[in-house]
Amino acid sequence: MGFLVTSGIFLLAGIVGCLFSLLCCNRGPSTNLFHLTLVSTATVCCWMMWAIVYLAQMKPLINPILSGE
Amino acid sequence: MFRGGGGCCPPMDLMRSETMQLVQVIIPAESARLAVSNLGDLGLVQFKDLNADKSPFQRTYAAQIKRCGEMTRKMHFFKEQMSKAAILTSSTKFSGAPLEIDDLEIKLGEFETELIEVNTNNGKLQRTYNELVEYNVLLQKTGEFFYSAQRSATQQQSEIVADQFGDSSLESPLMEQEMVADPLKQVKLGFLSGLVPKQKAMAFERILFRATRGNMLLQQESVDEPVTDPQSGEKVVKNSFVIFYSGERAKSKIVKICDAFGANRYPFPEDLAKQLHTIQEVQDALHRATTDSNSQVASIFQILSTQESPPTYFQTNKFTSSFQGVVDAYGIAKYQEANPGLFTIVTFPFLFAVMFGDWGHGICLLLSALYLIIREKKLASQKLNDIVEIMFGGRYVILMMSLFSIYTGLIYNEFFSVPFELFGKSAYACRDPSCGDATTEGLLKVRQVYPFGVDPVWHGSRSELPFLNSLKMKMSILLGLTQMNLGIMLSFFNAKFFKNTINVWYQFVPRLIFLNSLFGYLSILIIIKWCTGSKADLYHVMIYMFLSPTDDIGENQLFPGQKIVQPLFLKKQHEQRHQGQHYTMLQATEESVTQLGGHHENSHLHDEFEFSEVFIHQLIHTIEFVLGAVSNTASYLRLWALSLAHSELSTVFYDKVLLLAWGYNNIIILVLGVTVFLFATIGVLLSMETLSAFLHALRLHWVEFQDKFYEGDGYKFEPFAFSSIIEEED
Repeated sequence: MGFLVTSGIFLLAGIVGCLFSLLCCNRGPSTNLFHLTLVSTATVCCWMMWAIVYLAQMKPLINPILSGE
Repeated sequence: MFRGGGGCCPPMDLMRSETMQLVQVIIPAESARLAVSNLGDLGLVQFKDLNADKSPFQRTYAAQIKRCGEMTRKMHFFKEQMSKAAILTSSTKFSGAPLEIDDLEIKLGEFETELIEVNTNNGKLQRTYNELVEYNVLLQKTGEFFYSAQRSATQQQSEIVADQFGDSSLESPLMEQEMVADPLKQVKLGFLSGLVPKQKAMAFERILFRATRGNMLLQQESVDEPVTDPQSGEKVVKNSFVIFYSGERAKSKIVKICDAFGANRYPFPEDLAKQLHTIQEVQDALHRATTDSNSQVASIFQILSTQESPPTYFQTNKFTSSFQGVVDAYGIAKYQEANPGLFTIVTFPFLFAVMFGDWGHGICLLLSALYLIIREKKLASQKLNDIVEIMFGGRYVILMMSLFSIYTGLIYNEFFSVPFELFGKSAYACRDPSCGDATTEGLLKVRQVYPFGVDPVWHGSRSELPFLNSLKMKMSILLGLTQMNLGIMLSFFNAKFFKNTINVWYQFVPRLIFLNSLFGYLSILIIIKWCTGSKADLYHVMIYMFLSPTDDIGENQLFPGQKIVQPLFLKKQHEQRHQGQHYTMLQATEESVTQLGGHHENSHLHDEFEFSEVFIHQLIHTIEFVLGAVSNTASYLRLWALSLAHSELSTVFYDKVLLLAWGYNNIIILVLGVTVFLFATIGVLLSMETLSAFLHALRLHWVEFQDKFYEGDGYKFEPFAFSSIIEEED
């Protein structure tokens, strides 16, 4: 469940970022599309990184063995 | 003619280079200079060299160009001298009054010789002036010495006057008379009331020197009044230093030169919005030239169509230009092909951050990037040394890199290698309250997965490396595959844009299927294994997929039906490889048809068509792609390798330097330890690791990503513009 919820948060953040870029730097359709591409690429990259790390820890095959100190 | 744009996607900045037109302009001789001058002010046109095969001496106007070169050299010399004397120069737009080149040449020659002479005189006079100052101070203290010196000076004066001033000038008789009339009188101020001719300046100087008066100084100041230069208020001080009026006459001449060639600079707005608009502007510029030069015939402006490939131009601002520069360093984009620079703006800092992940170090980078950006204007006008200049040029790249590094640092949970529980409690706890077997059996997962990033309990545990290595290696493969698929998709867009259907079916589709049926399948297996917690060995699965595809998978089964799916993938790959071969034959025949069609164009850059060349070219590409798929995917494992190196170095510096120093409870050792930690962090982690990760991220982009779609054999658009020429010379 936590996975889907947080993925939803990333999606929301991406949409907010896109709207923000449209609002603050509205400079013609081709520039807007350019900004949107950048924001969505960044969102996808960040989400992928988080999702990979999250999934890897969901059902781990090894567990932490503390060192003696 | 370049194959026109495909209408698949809406237009986007930086995606493809700006559209270009080849035009032919025929200008009548009387308006030629004005026309070219107006075009130079506009800065929208790049001229093609139609006499490229002729040597510089064979060209029509070689002699005139040489003369112009000479004059330019003289003007450079003047400009240098003026900047040394700290006279402000400004440039104005040339108002089109026809200037006789011959007269200009003669004038410049005269000025140059005079200026050189003046400079040498200046040097000499400076030296003697310094001597005089010293002498003046000495004399002010000893009165007697002054009298005796003056007596001898006047004697010497009359001698010298008799010797040197044989030639009559207006001044020398005056001096002579005064001397003769009053030999014992002190050298008067009135003596200097006249103008000392420049040639006599040395002798004059010598006389005054022997007269041992400091009045000369005063004279200088009074005579060297500030020239009526409207721009320089403070020039007064400096000029008073400089030579006396011999200098003043020459100096006023220099000022006249300033007025003649000095020009105010007005930056022309570069409006490249619509092609029609720019064509209109160029035509207007030519019209103006025609009317201004009273020419009978108007210039002819004609749009041509051609087979040659036009130059590439991307409109960038200060933020995007550094990323575009990174891409251009590998190769300039072919005209209107998809520009990797677009995605590089995000993916390059991202991959850097994957290798650098530590939010403490990220904050340090961020601070330095912000410093460079906040003092942008000031630093831009200064002359910086090479390394700082490079860093300054890439300040926005560093900014992006630092922001992403902070993000990945939070995910890896490393702050100078120290983990924090920022996002909730760790998911692991002891099996029983006494934590007896924490060091043998380990902890148990008792709660939900740590919500953001790597669980803080892993750092320092004995099984940290096996876990993190597995995680980072798989992450590298997944990220790498995504970027390579993006590259292949861009090649699809290129093929659509250039209306190259062969490329779509016989290049894009085979590549996509081949890459994904092999490594895409591996990625899916990775994700399934993570989600289900299966103990299947993925190495085993992949290798035996090839060795014995129909055997029983047994315990390595990840999903039902795997036994059936795997052989299908193999079959697909086999087909694709063969399709790749067929592609070479088809490509060859298609190419021959299009080439023959364009034969009647009289462009001399038209390549000769060779069947065998195309065939070999495509064969090489097929083999390269097949082998490359494995090697490129493995290449992405450097993301894992560098991130491991960074975190290990960081751990070592923290544990073995800082904590060790802390343990001694001695202030001196603590200070020493902190200093070593600081230097090690800055020198190794912040400088060396940054460069290293930068370089590897760059390599991943240049080779693994751009290989999938980028041609990169274009040439840059360099317009004929006065503003850029003046900038270059500064």
